[in-house]
Formats: sequence, C-alpha cells, structure tokens
Amino acid sequence: MVTPNKHRGGGRPGRFRRALVALTAVALVTAGCGSGGEAAEESGPVTLTVSVWNLAATPEFQAVFDAFEKANPDVTVQPVDILAEDYPAKVTTMLAGGDTTDVITMKNVTDYSRYASRGQLADVTDLVKSKQDLKLAGLEAFDVEGKYFAMPYRNDYWVLYYNKKMFDAAGIAHPDKLTWDQYAEIAKKLTKGEGEQKVYGTYHHTWRSVVQAISAAQNDGDQITGDFEFFKDQYEMALDVQKAGATLDFGSAKQASYRTMFETEKTAMMPMGTWYVAGILKNKAEGKTAVDWGIAPMPQKPGASGVTTFGSPTAFAVNKNAKHTATAKKFVEFAAGLEGAKAITKVGVVPSLQSPEITQEYAALEGMPSDELAKTALAPDKTVLEMPVSEHTSDVDTILKEEHELIMVGEKSVEDGIASMRDRVKKVLD
Amino acid sequence: MTALRTAPEPTARPVGPPPATKPRERGSRFVRPVATYTALIVVAALVLVPFAWMVSSSLKRDNEVLTVPIQWIPEEFRWSNFVEIWDRIPLATYLGNSAFLALTITLLQLLTGSFAAYGFAKVKFPGRDALFVAYIATIAVPWQAYMVPQYIMMQNAGLTNTYWSIILLQAFGAFGVFLMRQYYTTIPDELCEAARMDGLTEYGIYWRIILPLSKPALASLALLTFVNTWNDYMGPFIYLTSNELWTVQLGIRSFVGQYDAEFAMIMTGAVVSVLPILVVFLLGQRYFIRGIATSGLKG
Amino acid sequence: MANAVTEAPRGAPPRGSAQKRRKRRNTLIGWSFILPNFVGFALFTLVPVIAAFALAFLEWDSYSAPEWVGLDNFAEMLEDENFRVALGNTLYYAAGHIPLTLMAALGLAIVLNGKLRGVGFFRTAAFFPYVTSLVAVAVVWRMLFNPTAGPVNQFLAAVGFSDLPTWLSSTDWAMPAVIVTSVWRDMGYYMVLYLAGLQSIPEEYYEAARMDGANAWHRFWHITLPSLRPTTFFVLVMLTIQSFKILDLIVVMTDGGPGRSTLVLAQLVYREGIVEGHFGYSSAIALVLFVIVLSVTVVQFRLNERRNR
Repeated sequence: MVTPNKHRGGGRPGRFRRALVALTAVALVTAGCGSGGEAAEESGPVTLTVSVWNLAATPEFQAVFDAFEKANPDVTVQPVDILAEDYPAKVTTMLAGGDTTDVITMKNVTDYSRYASRGQLADVTDLVKSKQDLKLAGLEAFDVEGKYFAMPYRNDYWVLYYNKKMFDAAGIAHPDKLTWDQYAEIAKKLTKGEGEQKVYGTYHHTWRSVVQAISAAQNDGDQITGDFEFFKDQYEMALDVQKAGATLDFGSAKQASYRTMFETEKTAMMPMGTWYVAGILKNKAEGKTAVDWGIAPMPQKPGASGVTTFGSPTAFAVNKNAKHTATAKKFVEFAAGLEGAKAITKVGVVPSLQSPEITQEYAALEGMPSDELAKTALAPDKTVLEMPVSEHTSDVDTILKEEHELIMVGEKSVEDGIASMRDRVKKVLD
Repeated sequence: MTALRTAPEPTARPVGPPPATKPRERGSRFVRPVATYTALIVVAALVLVPFAWMVSSSLKRDNEVLTVPIQWIPEEFRWSNFVEIWDRIPLATYLGNSAFLALTITLLQLLTGSFAAYGFAKVKFPGRDALFVAYIATIAVPWQAYMVPQYIMMQNAGLTNTYWSIILLQAFGAFGVFLMRQYYTTIPDELCEAARMDGLTEYGIYWRIILPLSKPALASLALLTFVNTWNDYMGPFIYLTSNELWTVQLGIRSFVGQYDAEFAMIMTGAVVSVLPILVVFLLGQRYFIRGIATSGLKG
Repeated sequence: MANAVTEAPRGAPPRGSAQKRRKRRNTLIGWSFILPNFVGFALFTLVPVIAAFALAFLEWDSYSAPEWVGLDNFAEMLEDENFRVALGNTLYYAAGHIPLTLMAALGLAIVLNGKLRGVGFFRTAAFFPYVTSLVAVAVVWRMLFNPTAGPVNQFLAAVGFSDLPTWLSSTDWAMPAVIVTSVWRDMGYYMVLYLAGLQSIPEEYYEAARMDGANAWHRFWHITLPSLRPTTFFVLVMLTIQSFKILDLIVVMTDGGPGRSTLVLAQLVYREGIVEGHFGYSSAIALVLFVIVLSVTVVQFRLNERRNR
C-alpha cells in the first residue's frame, strides 16, 4: 500500500555538488546512526517514554499507562506530552533530530505512512502475526507491502447522534436505519425558530469526510483513483439540506463548534465520530449539558443491506532509535490487546480490538444510551477506512478539501467541482 | 544614510498670510478636540471588539462560546473560570517561565542589538553594508523553512528542551539591530564628532551620548520584543518538551484536543496572559513623549 | 553618508599608510560592536538558513541522507499550480497590506503623539489587536464579515449597496477580508515604531515652521514626513518582509480557502516541508520567496539612499 519515497536521480555529481551534499549530510543527518536495534530483554527497572498529545484532556493514554504499569511492575511509563494541534510537526522535527522517545503514537495513518517509508519506525510485523487471532479494526491501514510498523489500539467510526427530546416532541420515530433522503426530510421537519432561537434539524461539520468519506464507504468508491462521480448524490443531499436552512450554512458552520451545537440543543441530529461519546458522557456527568442524547447508525443509501460507515484508527509505533525497544514492543502489543482495550473502553473510547466482550462493556458504560438503536450503531457491519493510504494521500486530501469548500459555498456546481477534483487528482497521480 | 535634519528647514516656507489663520484656529479650539475624541473613541471601540468577545467568552461555559449567531453577554457569568484555570494547569509556573524568557531575551536583544547598531550606523568599514543586508535578509526567510536544520543543530549541541535553545534563537535576531540602526541615523554625526574631539572613545560615545538619546527607540524595541517572545508559540512548542519548562502560550493551547477544544478555558488563559503585556505597554509607552529625545540635541 | 569617523582631520590630508591604518582600526572597532550580536546570529540563524538554502538543490526527507537533484526542485515549481496560485495570492496580499498598514500606522502615530488626555489608553487600545488571541480575532471578524447577519454587509446595505459580497465564502472577496483584518491587527505594531520615530524630530523645526505660518498640513508634509524617512524605510522593509511571510492569520481565518483563494507561499513552505516531508522542494520555495523579498528590499534601499543624497 505504501511505497517508499522515490529518489529523483541527479546528474553526475561534480566536486562542488559532492561537497555540498556531504556537508549538508554531515550537518543534517544525525538520526540514521545509532539505532536501538534488537536489544536483548531489558532487565531491571525501565522508564519507557511514550509520545502523546494532550495528556490531561485525553484520558485513554493514562488508562493504558496505568494498566501497563500494573501488569509490568518494573516499568514506569513517562509520557512525552505534546500539544494536539501541531503534534505531527513536533514529532517530525523530533525524529529528524534523532530523538530517542521509545513509543511514538500515530495520530493518523497518513503521517504513519511517511514515518514508515522513511524508515523511522521499528518493524513490528512479528507482533502483528502473533496476534492474528485477534480482530483489530483498521489494522489493514498499517500494512506497508506486507510489513507492519505500528499496531492500532483505537478505532473511531462515525455514527448519527440525535436529540431524543426533539424527536419525541415532533412525534418522529428515532432515526433507525434511515436512507439519506429520509434523513434530509427529517432534518427539514425538525428545523424551527428564527435568529438566536433557531434550532437546526442537523449539523454538518465542514470536514470533507462528512460528504466524501461516507459516500466513498457506501458506494465502494476509492477516494484516490481520481474518479469521484460517486460523490454526486451525497453532495446534492448536503446542499439541499443547507439550502433549506436545515443545517448551518458552510461559512457559519466553519466557526461553530459541533459540541456547542449539540450540547446547547441547537441541532436535532449530527453525524460525528465515536470520539465524541467520551466527551458527552463527561459533560453530562458534570452537569454541563442537559441534552437527552442517543446514537443511531449513519443513514444509508437506499437498498443497502447492512450498516456501512467509515472510521480511522490510531496506533502505537516503536521508534527506530528507541532506548528500550523490547519494552516498547511489549507496550505496543499490550495496548492493542485485550487488556489495553478494556482499559480504554472504561473511559468511553472505542478500542480497535473487536470482541463481544468489549462491545458489551462499552454499552454498559454509565450514561451510555442502551436502546437497540445504540447497539446497532455501535456494531456496524462494515467500517471503511476514512482515506486510503498511498504516497499521494495528502496531496489528494488537500485537493479534495479545496474543491469541497468551493462546492459547499456555492462557487462551483457539483458537476464542475467533481470534474476539477478529477482533473487535479489525475495530474498528481501522473 | 544621512541624518535627515537638513531636509525640513528650507522647505518650511510661509504659506498664506499669517493673520488670516489666527481667528480660525481660535474658533476650532473647541471643535477640534471634540472631533478628535469622537473619532478616537469610535476607532478604539472598533479595535477592542474582538478583545471584548475574548473577555466575554472567558466567562462562559466551554460549550457556550462558539454560538451562531454570536452571544455577546454570557447567560451566567462564570467567574469561576478564572479560579479553575489555576487548578487545571500550573499557570503560575507557565507565567513565570514566560516572564523569565521574555525578560532575558528582551534584555539581550536590547544590549547586543543597540551595540551592533552603533557599528552599522556610526562606524564605517569595508563590507559593512553587505553584512547589514545579510542581516536583514535573513528575516525574510520563513522560519518553517529552516526550522528542522536549526533543530538538528540544537539537538547536536544538546540544547533542545532547555531555555538556552529559545534564548539563543531569539535574542540575537536582526530585528533589533535594524530598528536601532535606523534610529541612530537620525542622530546627527556632528554630535559624535564633537564627542570625539573631547576625547571620548567610540564605546564612550555609544554609552554616554547615543544610548541616552535613543530611549524612545529602546522603549519600542523592548516593547515589541517582549510582546513577541511572550506571545510566541511555535518556538517554545518545538524546543521545550518538558512540561515544567512550558510557557503560558503552550499552557493555553493545551486546552485544544484532537477533535475539540475547551474554548472558555482558552479565552480565560488568553485574558490572563494579556494582562502582563498591558502593564509592560503602559510603562513603555510613556517614553513616547515629545522632547525626551530632542532635549539632548539642543546643545 | 557624511560619516564622521572616516573624515580626515581638516588641514592634514592623510598619507596612504595612515589611511590604511585608520581603515583597519575602524574595521576592528566596527566589528567589536557587531560581534556580540553576530556570533549568536551567525550560529543559530545564519547557518541554518544557509543549510536550508542548500536543501533547495537537494532532495531530503528529514531522515535519510540528502541527494543532489540540481535544479529539479525549481523545475517542479514551474509546473506546480499551487505555487503559481500561492505566489499570486501572496503578491495580492502584500499589495493590499503594505500601503494600507503603513498609512493606518502613520495616521495613528501622528494623532496619538500629541498631548491628548488619555493618550495612554488610546495607544494601548490601538496596540491591543496585536496581542488579542488569534482565535478571538478570527471568530469575531468572521462574524463581522458574515454575509447576511454581519455588520459589514448590514452597513453596506444601509448605505444603498446591493449585490453584496459574501466575503470569506467567496473566492473573490476572501482575500480583501483577510487584508482588512490584517491591517486592523498590525497597525498598532507599526504605530509603536512610528511613535519612537516621531520623538527624534526636534521641536524647533515645528516652532520655526509655525513662526513662518505653515499650517498643519504643510508641517506634516515638509517636516514630519521627511524627518521620518529612516523610520518609514524601516517600517516599509519590515512590512514587506512580514507581508510576504504571512501565515498565522491566514491559517486561523481561512486556512487558504475557500478553494485556494487565500493560499500563500509560507503556507506552501510549511505544507511541503514539515507536513509532507519534501524538504528540498519546500526550501526551494522559501528560496524563491527570499529572492523576491530581497529584491524588493534592495530597491527600497536604493531609493532610500538616493533620496538622502
């Protein structure tokens, strides 16, 4: 899936060139040497460093660390706390400088593919192979030509959040396996009020995935081939809902917060990722919101047999320059396994590991909606990777985002937008 | 570049018959200030609107901040945010760290910048102007372009995750040299010449004559350097990893999560972090009073 | 430049060797002033900058050994649509931001240089946009520019305009909106520089002019403006540099959108380098950006010198 960076050949290097390359190489390359290698089993007390984002606001990290320390009394986990906003920038810079943090958390698959193709991560294929009996959602995203350099521990997918009170008040049945047309219709029905009092039928985040990833998942479309005709229906639905005023217009949605929209009961429905569960549980428990919420499966295209949604995994990887490679691998294996999964389930996070036991524990969380609808939503039949991974992923991602904006603000028609996506992506692929 | 003091004198020619202007000036004595103040207050209001929103948001719940349409006055004033933030993050430590960095860097920048500027403005030697252009030119390179090479150098020197990295990075910027040099060119060379006749060395001239004359420029350099280091986020973010070294800007951003953010806390932090700047600015702007610099030129 | 140090003592024309010795002495003195700053500057800024420029001719992923690719990165740039768009946008932004900020800053400084009551408050207020959190700036200006509910369009409608722009949701109007916001944000910063510059104008000039009966406009035009030339030169150079490097405001306000209508060069440098890991290409773009700014600055330098002669 991921091909290593291609090097462009230069001409025959002259003396000046050679000198320049050598000098820059001396100045810049520190990381290549001194790999941790396959150190023997580390003995004695070990302090394992793990890079994380926003430790205080991301409780699943501490949950895994505590569980791991409990299972391995001679290991102390020391988090390297990095701000979430620019996590990739800092990790890229640190690794370039030859940093020796043992475990590196992979915030998304695109970054993972870059670190992996540069050779900055240790091979953990043997771990993955030894855990073959476990069902890890999103594992295929980490397959680099048959090798693995990270193991997913968490996998978020999209569901439809809804406000039960609003549905009941309007006498509309809870959104059970809707088609997109039914969804749009209900959104319009539930929209009422004007100005500051206005309540919207639904809220569409400005992320392109809200339209593109879901239609790719449900139409077996590939967001990287350059043919994007399958976006068409979904765009027409989204624009129709926006035009009817049943969701915030794109410009205003850009500065709205989805949590504000849902928790202050300004919207009746909201397609969003499962990561929001932990946040809403917490705010409910602290009395910061009174919303009576439920979760339902994402709406489907007409005639669909099961529930299809999209999602994206998060993984732990071992730094090639790690000081404690063996312990780091142990940690990665632990976090992806049953014990790690149980630990993060407790804080409301969906683990990558799929088993009836975990699903049950998740549904039994305090404050979790426990109706049938929620159970279907939390056991989708098919979860497609949000964006396929290849060397062109981020270029294509940027193009799709730019054209998405133009369609949503009405600068381009759906047809024109899809056409320029195709033209621009084809150029990148060539 | 010469001091420009010769320019104005010949051009300031009398215009129109002087007596005619007098009554008009007397008549506008009351109208003028009223007009000026009205205009100033309108501009000040316009300029402070986002700040007002920041303060208002700091008194809300996180999920009440980003509403559409904007809600200017919180439903309930949560003054507790200003208490809570001290528990949530070690704000006192962060403020202290920021103050230490901002003061150290400002001081070094003032000293080395004004010193180097004297060399560029008042001493002539071969290669001076080329060197000066090289200084300015580096400001034009976006930091993102050389961030990684710079980090690797710092890492090799073992300076990452220490204050040294930030201090060495920011204290010797070209900005201060450029600013001070421009100011020095407005100080007449005759003044230096006279001092030389009196037997002062170049260092003496810098210390006794030039430096006291350039208080307004030093004040503006100090102010802008302080504000820029205080508000800098990317530098400390890349170089300071240990939590106990973090600055207040990093503290504020620690309320931004992967998929959402605690906006009320962010705004509370932003309000708290602006207060020291306010004090510094009010102190610094007092040096912008006509007469402070020129008094020295009369002799 | 009438520089005192080099001027020979009157009445005693120096002989060759004496002049040489003086020159060497001046060089030593000059460097002794510059050195403390230069050492730090050279080590931690100049060297990395040079390394970054070397990278423009290499292919480097931040980890493996760099590879020589000659001018490939520049050839790639010629064919890169993103680069062309970003270059155009950056020039557009600079063309709007530089003159408007300069005028606003100068105007503010002149009004706030007087001995008005409460001048400290107004100066502080004018500086506040620069220290207000960028998130707050972005949110409030988005609201002000909201196509239907925003005060900007409501005002335009009230004075009789129809067919109002949709500002940040429009490819044509997003950049003007960003420029307005950035002028608003930066004017206080440059005002501080102008305030310092205003202090260096001797009061006597104004007294003499008043005595000659020059009105306020003439005093501004013939005394203030020429006397401020070194400051204006400084402000102009800094403004040019900062305009061409604009990044943070764009990221929070539009993130380059809608589409690519506000994508700027610095954003491309960041995206190609830190995000994508094409450090060679990223450095090449930075080098081009640098050359553009440098040539503009050299022109400003020349003009400034000619006027001073």
